[in-house]
Amino acid sequence: MTDAKIPVTVLTGYLGAGKTTLLNHILSEPHGKKYAVIVNEFGEIGIDNQLVVGSDEEIFEMNNGCICCTVRGDLIRVIAGLLKRAAGFDGILIETTGLADPAPVAQTFFVDADIAARAKLDSIVTVVDAKHLPLRLRDSREAEEQIAFADTIVLNKTDLVSAEELAQLENDIHAINRFARIVRAERGNAPLEHILGLGGFDLDRILAHTPTFLHDEDEDEHEHHHNHGCGGHCQCGHHHHHHDEPKHERHDPTITSVSLRADKPLDPAKFEDWIGELRATKGNDLLRYKGILDLQGSDQRFVLQGVHMMMDGSNLAPWPADAKRQSRLVFIGRKLDEQALRDGFAACVA
Amino acid sequence: MRPASAIARQWDFRVSVTAIACNRRGNWIAATLGDGSVRLLPASDEADAPKLLPLHDGVSLSLQADADDHAFLSGGDDGKAFIIDPELDAPTLLVEHKQQWIDHVASSPEGLRAYSIGKTAHVLNAEGQPHGQPLTHPSSIGGLAFSPNGKRLAASHYNGVSLWWMNAKDSAPSRLEWKGSHLPVLWSPDGKMVVTGMQESALHGWRLSDMAEMQMQGYAAKIHSLAFTARGKYLATSGAEQVICWPFFGGGPWGKAPMTLGGSDGHLVTRVAPHPRDELVAAGYDDGMIILAPLDGRMEVMLQYPLAPQGCAVTGLVWNAAGDCLFAGLENGNLLLFTLASVSRAARGM
Repeated sequence: MTDAKIPVTVLTGYLGAGKTTLLNHILSEPHGKKYAVIVNEFGEIGIDNQLVVGSDEEIFEMNNGCICCTVRGDLIRVIAGLLKRAAGFDGILIETTGLADPAPVAQTFFVDADIAARAKLDSIVTVVDAKHLPLRLRDSREAEEQIAFADTIVLNKTDLVSAEELAQLENDIHAINRFARIVRAERGNAPLEHILGLGGFDLDRILAHTPTFLHDEDEDEHEHHHNHGCGGHCQCGHHHHHHDEPKHERHDPTITSVSLRADKPLDPAKFEDWIGELRATKGNDLLRYKGILDLQGSDQRFVLQGVHMMMDGSNLAPWPADAKRQSRLVFIGRKLDEQALRDGFAACVA
Repeated sequence: MRPASAIARQWDFRVSVTAIACNRRGNWIAATLGDGSVRLLPASDEADAPKLLPLHDGVSLSLQADADDHAFLSGGDDGKAFIIDPELDAPTLLVEHKQQWIDHVASSPEGLRAYSIGKTAHVLNAEGQPHGQPLTHPSSIGGLAFSPNGKRLAASHYNGVSLWWMNAKDSAPSRLEWKGSHLPVLWSPDGKMVVTGMQESALHGWRLSDMAEMQMQGYAAKIHSLAFTARGKYLATSGAEQVICWPFFGGGPWGKAPMTLGGSDGHLVTRVAPHPRDELVAAGYDDGMIILAPLDGRMEVMLQYPLAPQGCAVTGLVWNAAGDCLFAGLENGNLLLFTLASVSRAARGM
């Protein structure tokens, strides 16, 4: 029927990071809502009266010529089954295994029309263990990918590290993923308003949350300094050290964020060619991207977001009369050629 | 002005109809609902107040005619499979697997019943005892179907279909291979071909005698409903704005274009129901439209116009054995009966 789409929240995180603890926290809060929970293993979900479904992660390649186009076959099956229920739940929570790649989960909501018609991906929440994150980032490609895909990072077990370490961790996370919100937690006790109902894949939410994920170039400079210690804007509450203090084994990221800006309108045809080519040739390395564009000949803000080769974009709302018209685009990806992206984007200016 | 309604009888269950089926004898109709219950009614224009039976604790995931030609077989997300005898006051529990889903059920005219849980299919004999070992597959089962003579069981999955002989215990299956995720599986009435609907919105098929393969593409959506017309002449399918009917005669479907019936502007066929004897196909759409289309090129008859304002999908469509009553179930909880008399009355008024 024509009910609103069921929101789906994906919980990722390395083994032992605290996914199940966070899940139990979500389920036990007095929010009055009922969730269907899709888990890989039964056992530690300590909440009765919830609909818990076990499902083996099954990654299916789509036989459509798109090499990075994979979906989670088990989710298609389980969500289709859940949607047959006439009454029952307000949202779906998916707990993935520690080594799960979030891309097939996200792509399932782009690719499967039956699911897209009835459910929508609300956000990807990645739980990381503050104590072990530096190690994980050194030895695990999956841990880095899970951060790259996240809308929200729950930085868990913050009580086990110092304030300095915490600040450094947040910088490391932001170096990978520019637009994730970091929420600190001790035993998975993150505020639910930062976990549920985020609309991480909604184009209109991208507009509403512009300032939080698309930083200004100037802010980027700050951000950059941040990375070498604890810069002026952090809230870690201690006095500021010089560069490279505290001593911290730097994670050498293969996944980075690149943020682009243009103050003049873009030529829509040139932009379409450029982004199309980029998706076709580099789609495998583009993990997530979001942007708000000022396209020549349009008074509307064009909003886009994507995962690998899949992109969703539309003219969403007029530019406010008092706003500076400007195009901004952020890529999170593997082996991003920052200069080539800057040049390519600059060449789209009309 | 709209012509006289073709609807002979109409019931409103107020809960979505998830599936409907006709028993093998062709004289009873069962409709499973989104609240887990089932409604039963005689498959004739004598159909009166449907009988309500509670069935699954969650919802039925698969409803079929049972091996007992009087009864129905249903598997659900409560891990239970039931035999539903319309003359009895309660369904009979066949099996229960706690905390698992019975995704698919199938029955053979020889008395066998099969059901699948994830990757495993179980076959039971007429007494309800296991018939051989559980049948395991490389990935979750997308569809189950016995061959028309009941000697083989087809289980579709990722990258193909497994065919199991029912009289050779513990033997390995023969595999029909094709890359991608295979969902519903169907045998041709002569048992010589197997066809699947795929995640990629296409059909794939095999002729068993020489393993000649067929690929049938061009669909807008996944094909959830496919059935051979009387005497196996055409394969009628959902998934497009028209009913797509592939010719299985004169060397087809190889190298032949399909016949297309009906048509909608922007809405897709969700269910097809070929007439049991005549060259006619009934089809239901995702906006509630229902048509009856002759295969000889004559104009189709409109049985129900699209429902305003946004429509709601036809989720079940089935003929009785005599072919004089067509039942349609809808997502809005309506069950409709069309009879030859009511249809010709409406057709005259057009």
